[in-house]
Amino acid sequence: MKLQAFVSRSVLFVLLGMFLVSCGGGQAEGDGKLTILEWSGYEATENPDFFGPFVEKYGETFGDKLDYIFFAEDAEAYAKIQTDVAADLVHPCNSWWQLYVDNGLVQEIDTTKLSNWSHVNPALAAMGQFDGKQYFVPWDWGYESMLVRTDLVPEVPTSWADLWDPQYAGHIALWDSGEANYAMTALAFGIDPWNTTPEDDEFIKQKLIELKPNVLTYWSDYTEAYDLPQTGDAWIVVNAWQDAYANADSSGYAVEYVQPAEKRLGWVCGFGISPNTADLDLAYEYIDASIADSSMAALANTYWYGPSNTNALADIDPYVVEFMELDQAASIQERTSFYRPITEEQRQIRTGIWDEVKVSQ
Amino acid sequence: MEERRRLSILITPSAIFMLVLFVLPLLIMVVYTFRQGSFGPTSRIFTLAHYHDFLSDRALQGLLWRSVVQSFWISLISVCLAYPVAYHLSFQAGERKMTLLTIIIVTAWVSFLLRILAWKVLLGGSGAIASLAQSLGLSEEGMPFLIYSQEAVNLTLIYVWIPFVALPIFAGLERIDPSLHEAAYDLGCSRPEAFVRVTLPLSLPGVVAGFLFVFIPTVGEYVTPSLVGGTTGVMFGNIVRDQFVRALNWPLGSLMSLAMLIVVLIPLVIAARLFKFSDLAGL
Repeated sequence: MKLQAFVSRSVLFVLLGMFLVSCGGGQAEGDGKLTILEWSGYEATENPDFFGPFVEKYGETFGDKLDYIFFAEDAEAYAKIQTDVAADLVHPCNSWWQLYVDNGLVQEIDTTKLSNWSHVNPALAAMGQFDGKQYFVPWDWGYESMLVRTDLVPEVPTSWADLWDPQYAGHIALWDSGEANYAMTALAFGIDPWNTTPEDDEFIKQKLIELKPNVLTYWSDYTEAYDLPQTGDAWIVVNAWQDAYANADSSGYAVEYVQPAEKRLGWVCGFGISPNTADLDLAYEYIDASIADSSMAALANTYWYGPSNTNALADIDPYVVEFMELDQAASIQERTSFYRPITEEQRQIRTGIWDEVKVSQ
Repeated sequence: MEERRRLSILITPSAIFMLVLFVLPLLIMVVYTFRQGSFGPTSRIFTLAHYHDFLSDRALQGLLWRSVVQSFWISLISVCLAYPVAYHLSFQAGERKMTLLTIIIVTAWVSFLLRILAWKVLLGGSGAIASLAQSLGLSEEGMPFLIYSQEAVNLTLIYVWIPFVALPIFAGLERIDPSLHEAAYDLGCSRPEAFVRVTLPLSLPGVVAGFLFVFIPTVGEYVTPSLVGGTTGVMFGNIVRDQFVRALNWPLGSLMSLAMLIVVLIPLVIAARLFKFSDLAGL
């Protein structure tokens, strides 16, 4: 075969391959099936009690109605949905919600189709509203704070600003997330993390560089937030979620989950429906099942995540209720500085700042 | 002609594979370096802004350079440590050769991540090495020893790479005709002299191949630094990863990957000039 023939044949194959690949990413069909872009660990096939009514209605074969595509980071979910993944439902966290709305990736939610909507905490529901319309149904929420090995630290920190105290030199584990460290540092120095100036950016960067001598390492996977305090390598795990506390506490370590003077950080995640969804009724059924009292209690008992449904308390382990202060739902926001939507540009700036901090020597 | 035809038929599947899954993505990556955004309308605007950002960022270039230097030393030390292993296997192991070779290959089968985590346990505050260091007075009670540092990254990677480097060196040594050693001794060489003047030069292609096996993936390494590197062990690959999975700045991430690729190509080109590729491949 002549070289020319070989090349032209190869090019043909390449084009054919590209054609086949592009066919694979088509729109979701109206085949009575939902494609859900989800964090792993939340899927109904793994935890059917998180979607009690849905599972009851469709019986043992409920799994045939659901297809999951998993992601490990919000950025990954957003990238997937922006490129070629056609999902009917998506479960991002609220600092990303505005981007989904602005880019037309979710449709307005008709809350009258959700029988459990009236039990959703109004403060959390309000976070899912943009331009007066409901785009996201909040489902799970939680805290970010300092997880402290009280038997190892000379003094338990009482504020985010205490992290800069030299007594913790070499014993702090920071979360490897520009967005989280930016927010945490802003709170520590009295800056509103969601209303900052370029001067604030520079100040926060300098403060994070100053923090480095106190930092042992950066954690990125949640299992590291479990291991670091257990081995005692880190005395303080920063921006740890409450499940890390639950894990350390149940393993018998002397730990405290600090309520910092500047408030804990908080996150909310929830469902949005794609504008291209073929089976809208099924999508509503799935979401409605997820926020049912029994489903939300199961979620809270399993992962210690806060339920958006304030009616679920009766079935939640009293220990979890007390620790999460779930019985004081109305004042969650007074104790917690929830993440707020940021723009693509802000996210790049915050990640850029964090990269500069990591690169600095 | 018939043979050429047969050869081209044999090559076609792998050539298509490489075109679709390597050359094409590489070209897409180059196109991305000129895009303003990762997707949506901004991805259709072409700009040199990311080149400007990268070229004016001394800290980032500095990190790339440090990662290259670090990879160079890791590769060199891995080669130095693996050479005696390969030498022993090839010339002294005798009947145990296959057994020892299998042991080396089997260790390489153990999950990469598992071996890194093993070091994490060993070096951590309550680990065996840390306890030893504490009893010798080298570190404080309950304190992690050596871990969460660039040294820990180096140590872990060298450990991980030794079997991979030993194999190409072993292959290189195996190809040396034993009669050449005999000739060297007959002509009055002592054993060290024979090694320096005959064995070592003839095994160099294997050594270079082993070096490159380590150097190329190490420059872009990000898993090991994020697990055991702490604040001082951050490598260029970690920042590239951040651009893709956190900042969603695919254009800058692509450009950084491209810069890394070019840096890695330099020693490859030098090696290709000094040796024939078939030698490096151990053929």
